[in-house]
Amino acid sequence: MVSTTPEPRSVLLVAEGLRYQYRRQTTPALDDVGFSLARGEIVGLLGPNGSGKTTLIHLMNGLRSAQAGSVRSMGAPVVAWVPQEYAFYPQLTCGENLQFFVSLLAISAADRGARLEHVVSACVLHEFVDRQARHCSGGVRRRLNIAIGLLQKPDLLLLDEPTVGVDPQTRLFLLDQVRQLAQQGAAVVYATHYMEEAMAVCDEILILDHGRVMVSGDLPTLLKGNTASGPFANLEALFMHHTRRSLRD
Amino acid sequence: MNALKQALLIAAKEWRLLWRNPQALASLFLMPAAFLLVMSFALKNSLTTDDIALPHSAWVIEDPSPLATTWSGDWIEHKGGQRLGTRAQLQQALRAGSVEAGVIVREGWVGAPGQPRADRIELWLSHRIHPASAARLRAEINASMLQLQVKGRVAAAGPFASLLLEGAAPTEGLAAPGAMSIRYLYEIESGRNMTAVQQSVPAWLIFGMFFVVIPLAGVLIQERNDGTLARLVTFGVSPSAILGGKLVAFMALNWVQLLLMLLVGRWLVPALGGDALYLELKAGWFLLMVFATSASAVGLALLIAANTRSFDHAAALGGGANVVLAALAGIMVPRPLMPAAMQNVSEWSPMGWALDGMQAVFLGAPDAALVVPKVLLLLAFAAACLLLSLRPLRQLDR
Repeated sequence: MVSTTPEPRSVLLVAEGLRYQYRRQTTPALDDVGFSLARGEIVGLLGPNGSGKTTLIHLMNGLRSAQAGSVRSMGAPVVAWVPQEYAFYPQLTCGENLQFFVSLLAISAADRGARLEHVVSACVLHEFVDRQARHCSGGVRRRLNIAIGLLQKPDLLLLDEPTVGVDPQTRLFLLDQVRQLAQQGAAVVYATHYMEEAMAVCDEILILDHGRVMVSGDLPTLLKGNTASGPFANLEALFMHHTRRSLRD
Repeated sequence: MNALKQALLIAAKEWRLLWRNPQALASLFLMPAAFLLVMSFALKNSLTTDDIALPHSAWVIEDPSPLATTWSGDWIEHKGGQRLGTRAQLQQALRAGSVEAGVIVREGWVGAPGQPRADRIELWLSHRIHPASAARLRAEINASMLQLQVKGRVAAAGPFASLLLEGAAPTEGLAAPGAMSIRYLYEIESGRNMTAVQQSVPAWLIFGMFFVVIPLAGVLIQERNDGTLARLVTFGVSPSAILGGKLVAFMALNWVQLLLMLLVGRWLVPALGGDALYLELKAGWFLLMVFATSASAVGLALLIAANTRSFDHAAALGGGANVVLAALAGIMVPRPLMPAAMQNVSEWSPMGWALDGMQAVFLGAPDAALVVPKVLLLLAFAAACLLLSLRPLRQLDR
């Protein structure tokens, strides 16, 4: 996926031949999936419902282990995951949530303070630190969800549909955050169903369907197509070409 | 479409929703049925006077008169029982459960010639004796002593007995002086009287401690469903640390419950006219029993929370299980009221172990031979629950 970038960035993670099948399922959720990620790269992870996006993210963040294949990391990158759900404690204030999660990290007290201050500032949460999360708007909760991920100061940030249910202002804000993070050298995997978001923010695209990689590469090259298909008017046309129109379970 | 038709459509939809809600169905049908089953057996003998058996009793004869020896011998021959040599042996037999009641015929039982005195009889009762059974024993002893008195009077009157008895008032010469004293084993061993509050505090404390399943399940299921549990794992927190943290927090909550119950028993109950809770307990045994009970309660709560998918499910299962366990254990129906078979069943419930140990501690006479096995059973139960909770926590792909 990164092989065609003009200025090679340092590779962070290489996955090869990944396979994962859930119990009581007859077909694998992922089958022979391979890709690589480089620092400073934003990869759009696209696919219909049930295509294997979340499973792939779980293999990258260590929640699951591949049944075949491997995920090799260069060095020991810090991987942070921002799930689609609001994965924090709604009865706690935003500040208490951040304080709790940062306290789980094996870092010094000074570093904890600095990271807290940084994420509160980066996600514009100053005026909500004393408010219970359940009393915050959807946009603030999305920002808090991402802020908790950023506390880990990740080398690789895995975002699973981070803009579901937010207003356009919050969406633009979150996309800016993703770009900034990549500019600071982190790799970002951005799983989404919103094609316009992927076009706006991603350098690379990986389209999954039925647990397999349908196509991957940099966006301009993919849109040009090849001798068999393309060119494509936009990412949605490319996506529909590879995943077809049939409805999924 | 008129309002009636709309209402009927909504009613049909409600039934369809209900039919597909197993938690609601369990709460509506399964739990009351289980509760009915348990209570029917637990209260089997308590609401009827039929088939109230005499308790298995032992006799200690301290009165040297031949009448005492003859009387107790006749009793044992006709109604069963055994004779023991000393009060200490009787106490041991009551504690071991080999007898349910003891009859001590004290020195001076035969006052005036041929006139036994009820106030020279002591009845010692075990914790487990059915009240109706104890009442029958008392009534039969009184009746037997009356017969002795009548025989004595008749023998003393000789051929003029009928003249003597015709002129006597109904109670004259027949009423045994005084009344026999009745003491339960715990009163003998602790030197204190049993009160309702002394019985109730440990029982309802245990019940409350096991209800920790409701808040614990609320937190754990929310964490699992919204991905917070998985997120904790990505922050490097192990499932055993998650479990350990919850165990510590909710065991601490149990101690707060304990404090509240003690305050109520010690101050609120007497303020409203009841007996005060006696709190001069043996601290070591008390702490050990509370710890073991708490570990067991939180362990069971974790097991239920870790193996259910929704709060409704956990609340129905946890609440229902607690009510049934409490009924089995003798918290809702005192064990002495249960038939023997149910008493045996209640010996094998975690709340029953907790109740046995706690009551021994709260009654002020804990015995290592009684408390230690209960503590070990409770801790083993807690460990088993924790082990069974770990597996689902490790499987985040549920």
